[in-house]
Amino acid sequence: MGSLLSYFKNIIFGFWNLLVGLSVTTKYFLSMKTNTQQYPEEKLPLPVRSRSMIKLIYDGEKDQFNCVACMMCAKACPNSCIKLEGVRGADGKRRVTTFKLDFSTCIFCGYCVEACGFDALTFVAEEYENSVYKRGSLLQDEQAMKWVRPAHLAPKPEEEVKAEAASTAKAGV
Amino acid sequence: MVHLIANLLQQALGAVGLSGFAFIINPIVSAVVMFGGISVFVMFLVWMERKVSAHMQSRIGPNRVGVFGLLQTVADALKLTTKEDIKPVHRDKIPYYIAPIIAFVATFAGMIVIPFDKGVSVQNLNIGILYVISITSFTVIAILSAGWSSNNKFALLGGFRSAAQIVSYEVPLVMSLVPVIMTAGTLNLNNVVEYQQKAGYWFVVPQFIAFLIFITSATAEANRAPFDIPEAESELIGGFHTEYSGVKFAMFFLGEYIAIIVSSAVAVTVFLGGWLPLPFLGSLPIPGFAWFVAKLLFVIYLIMAFRWTFPRLRVDQLMDFGWKVLIPISILNILITGFCILFFGKGV
Amino acid sequence: MTDLLLSQIKLGAESQFGTDEYVVNLGPQHPATHGVLRLIVKLDGETVKETTPVLGYLHRSIEKICENRTYPQCITYTDRVDYVSAMSVNLAFALATERLMGLEAPPRAQWLRMIMVELQRLASHLLWMGAFAGDIGALTPFLYGLRERERIIDLFEMTCGQRLTYNYIRIGGVMIDVLPEFVPKCRAFLDYFEPKIAEYEELLTYNPIFLERTKGVGIISPEVGINAGVCGPSLRGSGVPCDVRKQQPYLYYDQVKFNECLETAGDCWSRYRVRMREIRESVSILRQCLDRLEPGPFETKLPPVLKAPPASEIYSRIESSRGEMGVYLVGDGTIKPWKCKFRCASFNNTYVLDQLTRGWKIADIMAVLGSLDMIVPEVDR
Repeated sequence: MGSLLSYFKNIIFGFWNLLVGLSVTTKYFLSMKTNTQQYPEEKLPLPVRSRSMIKLIYDGEKDQFNCVACMMCAKACPNSCIKLEGVRGADGKRRVTTFKLDFSTCIFCGYCVEACGFDALTFVAEEYENSVYKRGSLLQDEQAMKWVRPAHLAPKPEEEVKAEAASTAKAGV
Repeated sequence: MVHLIANLLQQALGAVGLSGFAFIINPIVSAVVMFGGISVFVMFLVWMERKVSAHMQSRIGPNRVGVFGLLQTVADALKLTTKEDIKPVHRDKIPYYIAPIIAFVATFAGMIVIPFDKGVSVQNLNIGILYVISITSFTVIAILSAGWSSNNKFALLGGFRSAAQIVSYEVPLVMSLVPVIMTAGTLNLNNVVEYQQKAGYWFVVPQFIAFLIFITSATAEANRAPFDIPEAESELIGGFHTEYSGVKFAMFFLGEYIAIIVSSAVAVTVFLGGWLPLPFLGSLPIPGFAWFVAKLLFVIYLIMAFRWTFPRLRVDQLMDFGWKVLIPISILNILITGFCILFFGKGV
Repeated sequence: MTDLLLSQIKLGAESQFGTDEYVVNLGPQHPATHGVLRLIVKLDGETVKETTPVLGYLHRSIEKICENRTYPQCITYTDRVDYVSAMSVNLAFALATERLMGLEAPPRAQWLRMIMVELQRLASHLLWMGAFAGDIGALTPFLYGLRERERIIDLFEMTCGQRLTYNYIRIGGVMIDVLPEFVPKCRAFLDYFEPKIAEYEELLTYNPIFLERTKGVGIISPEVGINAGVCGPSLRGSGVPCDVRKQQPYLYYDQVKFNECLETAGDCWSRYRVRMREIRESVSILRQCLDRLEPGPFETKLPPVLKAPPASEIYSRIESSRGEMGVYLVGDGTIKPWKCKFRCASFNNTYVLDQLTRGWKIADIMAVLGSLDMIVPEVDR
């Protein structure tokens, strides 16, 4: 008799739990809430730190790249995908002449940008549509990677950075 | 409308002196109208399943082709028909070609006895329920021969699973209908609905357990999740239709959905009062056909919700569930109904 | 085909009718193997007689590549060892290198590392939960799991700029300090996330079909588990305490309160329960970490070109999302490791697959494989 009771109890318990599961999916069905972003029409703003595309910063005022061809980025790269050459200019400073980055082997680790001490390489968050039709197009030179920094992204003066750091330290974050 | 077209054609036949063949006009016209209607409805159902599953999973679902993506299925059908028909080399030719046709025809033939409205069915058979059950179980032959003839190990496993499944779930399917037949005293689907009208209640009220058993085994009959082991994608890839592509695959696909429609239509007719309006809403000017479709969509929604909520049973557990749970309970149900009829007269 | 059958019957009459094993080749392209794992399964009807995993389809020789890279450069490759739980592998390698060099990261870096690794554990377990349910046939939990995982990944992207291969945890600290809005956003996520766990449990835990499929299936006995080197949640499902966070605390795991989740049955359901409970524990750890996060430097200042570690060896282990993640490093006094070896949990967990599935049905292979939480890149490396 006990086994018969447990037989029915199991069936009813199972049936109840099936209903509980159905209630979850039905709740979502009726709420009609979606989490989809429809990409080509709806573009999400990417975080500023997004490692989307590496660009070579071009100084519009001085009409030259910031890069001084110190080779730190090429040394830091784990896949050796950066090739660059530079010459010493008339003012005695080295300037980059050719800069080649092979994006087909680049893994966007960010070491080159971190290694750069001359504010010459940067990630640009907005340019994330990087697909090309030919593999060869992934080998970009300094002209393709040329990027003039817009005014609103200009690096903050040093005092401001220090003040900000102090305020966050106070806030205890 | 059907009768109008049929009458016109009959007169045309009479005009050319072939009135002797007039008797074939009615079935042919009905079949063509049915085929068109059901095909469109299946397309709608595929779209509905995608939308239902999408909203259950907080997605959007198809929304690119047509308004709300309604034409998505049309696009898919076009794609399937224009696709290359890839055939395995060492297939067993005849069963390989027949299988999708059987799968499609056997389920489609089940539609002809369903009453969509008062007196509106292609054939008002006296053995309607028996006919539906027997003709739809032909699909097992299709699936078995598809699995065997594809010369694919996964397909063969799927075919064998299907044979075991459909044969064992046929039993509770019939048994769940027996109490209704006992009470109504008829096998004619039209008369079952008329009985419900006279009695003033739908059979789902006294026979709720039979309704549940019927829905469960109908889901299993149509090879739908959670009983979709013949095509269990996580272990058997495509199951019996792994090696089918193009139009043949489309026919299996169509067959599956028509099987859902047939089982749901039987459930609606037998348990949910067919074309009868909802209680207290009988005075609304809504035709019986619309009530039928609305109920049909509700039952189909239930079957879809099962698929997108529940995990899949294992093959031996499927058998266990059929033989150890569904069949004993349906036998018990028949017994209780029998006693009720014996002691309280007709009407449970 | 009929001719073929007839000829076979003739053959059988001449020799003897014999039955043969039904060998099914699951993979390397198969919906349930989560990647390119190949299983050769010998069947007797539906019953499994033998399962042989064939590995190597995703072998990229990361360990060998690491021997030709400097220590910081190796970290970019550790991202690819287990891309579902990249932070953990980052941490494993960074900790090993720090121990080799005798470095210690500042407290803020340690807390940040703990936050990131626990968030990563949540993300990994969520993906596992969805994939496991999908293997068994329930497709909806997968989407729910991914929906919440997306939020975690957004947090990562906000912090380090990448969504899958973070390269965030570095030798001597972390890559960059979190943004000021990270902490409130993380708390908001935890508040949003906690009720969702109950939802997954409603969908799966006591669902009778789910119970049928997982209870009593694929039992790892404690002896078999220990002998085969099974680790992580898979072994804790058998009741063996093996959480490295408790046994050999690293970072500040000795300063936060959390329970080691143990179940006794050792079947798929226990492993599921362990992981679901670990999700709750991770949420609690995360809350404590966010409370304890203090301002300070986020990294030890290192020279741009790293000083070469001494010629010695180290084996350092952490608890990754899948179990014990060990890194064995041998330095030879240069800036590159002489030998680098990853001890990955998935590899050992895959090893018991054959023992677990023998005598069960073919559908159980999927349940067991799913419950072991195996990631193919980690198996092959």
